[in-house]
Amino acid sequence: MIAIGITVALTELLGSFGLSGGLLSVITYTILAAGTFGLLSVLALFLVWWERKVAGHMQQRFGPMRNGWHGWYQTLMDGLKLLQKEDILVATRDKVVFFWAPVMCCIAAFAAYIVIPFGDGLIVADLNIGVLYIMAITTFTVIALLMAGWGSNNKYALLGGMRSAAQVVSYEVPMVASILVVVLYAGSLSTVDIVNSQSGNFLNWNIFRLPFGPIAFITFLIAAVAEANRTPFDLAEAEQELVAGFNIEYSGMKFAMFFLAEFINLFTVSAITVILFLGGWHGFAFIPTFVWFFMKTFAIVFLLIMVRWTYPRMRVDQLMEFAWKVLVPITFLNIIVAAIFKHFGWYWEL
Amino acid sequence: MNNEELKAYIESNYASLMTFCESGKYDLWFEVKADNLVRVCQKLKDDPELLIDYFCNLGGVDTTENFEAVYNLASSKKKIRIDLKVVLPHENPSVDSVQTIWPAANWYEREMWELYGIQVNNHDNLTRFLLPDDWDQGYPMRKDWDAPDFIRFPDL
Amino acid sequence: MSDLRTEEYDLNMGPHHPSTHGVCRLLLTMDGERVVKVVPYIGYLHRAIEKICENRSYAMCIPMLDRFEYVTSMSCNQVFSLAAERLAGIEVPERAEYLRVIMLELNRIASHLIFFGTTAMDIGALTPFLYALREREDIIDLFEMTCGQRLTYNYIRIGGVSKDIPEEFTPRCRKTIANITEKVEEYKRLLNGNPIWKMRTIGIGKLDADLALAYGASGPILRASGVDYDLRRDDPYSIYDRFDFNIPIYHNGDVYDRYMIRLDEIQESCKIVGQALDSIVEGPIKAKVSPNFKPPAGETYTRIENSRGEMGVHLVSDGSKKPFRLKARGGSYPHLQLLPEIATNCMIADLVAIFASFDVILPEVDR
Repeated sequence: MIAIGITVALTELLGSFGLSGGLLSVITYTILAAGTFGLLSVLALFLVWWERKVAGHMQQRFGPMRNGWHGWYQTLMDGLKLLQKEDILVATRDKVVFFWAPVMCCIAAFAAYIVIPFGDGLIVADLNIGVLYIMAITTFTVIALLMAGWGSNNKYALLGGMRSAAQVVSYEVPMVASILVVVLYAGSLSTVDIVNSQSGNFLNWNIFRLPFGPIAFITFLIAAVAEANRTPFDLAEAEQELVAGFNIEYSGMKFAMFFLAEFINLFTVSAITVILFLGGWHGFAFIPTFVWFFMKTFAIVFLLIMVRWTYPRMRVDQLMEFAWKVLVPITFLNIIVAAIFKHFGWYWEL
Repeated sequence: MNNEELKAYIESNYASLMTFCESGKYDLWFEVKADNLVRVCQKLKDDPELLIDYFCNLGGVDTTENFEAVYNLASSKKKIRIDLKVVLPHENPSVDSVQTIWPAANWYEREMWELYGIQVNNHDNLTRFLLPDDWDQGYPMRKDWDAPDFIRFPDL
Repeated sequence: MSDLRTEEYDLNMGPHHPSTHGVCRLLLTMDGERVVKVVPYIGYLHRAIEKICENRSYAMCIPMLDRFEYVTSMSCNQVFSLAAERLAGIEVPERAEYLRVIMLELNRIASHLIFFGTTAMDIGALTPFLYALREREDIIDLFEMTCGQRLTYNYIRIGGVSKDIPEEFTPRCRKTIANITEKVEEYKRLLNGNPIWKMRTIGIGKLDADLALAYGASGPILRASGVDYDLRRDDPYSIYDRFDFNIPIYHNGDVYDRYMIRLDEIQESCKIVGQALDSIVEGPIKAKVSPNFKPPAGETYTRIENSRGEMGVHLVSDGSKKPFRLKARGGSYPHLQLLPEIATNCMIADLVAIFASFDVILPEVDR
């Protein structure tokens, strides 16, 4: 059922040139990493442009219009501008922490893509702990934000960093609890296995198949928005309160890296949502699997963009209350119910 | 209560404290001695017929002979308005604070002190806020104040 | 470990901060996210308007006062002209009074629209700001059509108004107010049902009636606290007694009420404009006022209801061509003074919401 994975294909291709052993896997994974990085960079450029267009049209304006057709290379120009900008450094910063925070943020954002299947076989490495790995690696973002907040030696930045730490740690709990329902039914932590367990009819997607699947989906999506630090949970940035939160002192390329990581994270959470609940790359007809994957993911991204430009921001204590008093009980209840249903076999498998 | 009734009421009940002055035709202006100010204000606020509970405005005036502190007061319940005027000497002008009666007076008194140099007694926070903290060029709203870069229009 | 401890820290909010609406500086003493103490510092925009006006003729003061409260500069024009007219005993022609009322109310709507947008933005919803500005744009176009200006109008002059409305004004104005009345309902649908919006506004920054009165709060803020006091009705000026309009009152005095009362006022103002357009009379638009306008010696404190509260002018004349003393009183000044009273012990996000709900405009505070 699984087509030959891209990793295997590449290894075989390189092996035919006479490479073998450690060198072979190093070269294979370097090529794959470069490919993923390139894909994600282009994707981030597109997402920034898309978000601005959607926001513009929601707000009765056009968004970027000047560079190319409907401003399609606006983000590219913005990136070039940020590249040329002076890197303003605060004299009182913590030098090491300040420098490594954006790097760490980017690494955390990119590393998640090792286990994300873009299509049938289009995965860098099918780890058997894939979901756990994603959860672990995306949490590095919070360390990066905390580092940025601390290293800037700015009270607003520190407040932003602390807020994001508190927020991400709280929302990790309902997020993992929502995922556990999926894992329970798929019987595996591997992303490929999870997607394969949803093959066939769309009624087999976890959102429909699981008992109370929509609840798990919604709680996961809320937690995912919070993880991605987007409105209504964008407390770490909160322009109106903390000016720009953790990235207040960053400029030039360092700022661009945070920005890049933010949009990669947006895509990551949407991709995970699709993998876990919406059947991953599965679709019907002759459309290639990766097209299905991207279509579904962009639909989720679009939803998140709409949410961002519609809702006001929550307050930090309300955010915590919402996580611990609403989401956590619901998700835990959901796990218990799902376990009972699983035990008695009250679910369908088409 | 219209203006005539109000004037008659004040002249009969506050004759010893407030004297009517002719300075404004449209509004009712009364002159109050600086020593009586706080007492008069408290009485006006407590008087069930007047209930002056609303502090509109306080401004200084430099009439070149003396200073005036002008209190514009109103009642939100009785829908009336009166103005008090305290005439102060040009040397060492000082007036008692009314912020215990209307807390709103706080900033207005600060401003009057800052711009006119009218000392406000019993004020809890008499510090500069409109002018720079290190301002040392006198009191700019006084008529005799002049600065080199302040362009006076010739007679229009 | 024993020497580890927590302590309060100072946070400088402003003068350059996105949600201080200008250049206000709030020195916050913070305990984590909680604001323990607020000290407002003003004066960054002090332009000595009052002193400058003492050296200008009466007609030249009006453009100066446009800059006093630039979001509703029609009312600055109106309050100064009214004071000068009261000093000199000038009768304003009837048509001019109608035009004044139309312009003042349109300007009130424009100002409240800005309030709506900026408050929503300060609470984190960025989109309503653009909607509000879209509607405001129609009003600004009407002003531009009439007096050629979009922000500082210099339209209401001593004795009347500077220009008559053009022919196409009336139909466009009717269309605009009909549109705005409808759009306000849409705004209410957009935000009022939103649980996050309710969480952020209801019960936040409660201001009770006694405190509001004691601190000289006025306008929508006073009425949101349950004090029924509107100068258009209680200290009548111009021809407001001829129109039939309600004065909305709310009783909780929180951010939500201060927001709702302004949306209601927009609709009431639309009603007033509609009635004024229906009943407007023909006639001259300006009384004969000499360019050498010299009111007799005297003084007055004149006040009108502005979108931010009571706007007053204490005008002293010594019989010359220049005002002897002009003290402008804006609504924001006491409101900013009130801020520390209700903003202590709230979260920093609430402080921003409360500040936004006061609709403080700093040029009016600093003058």
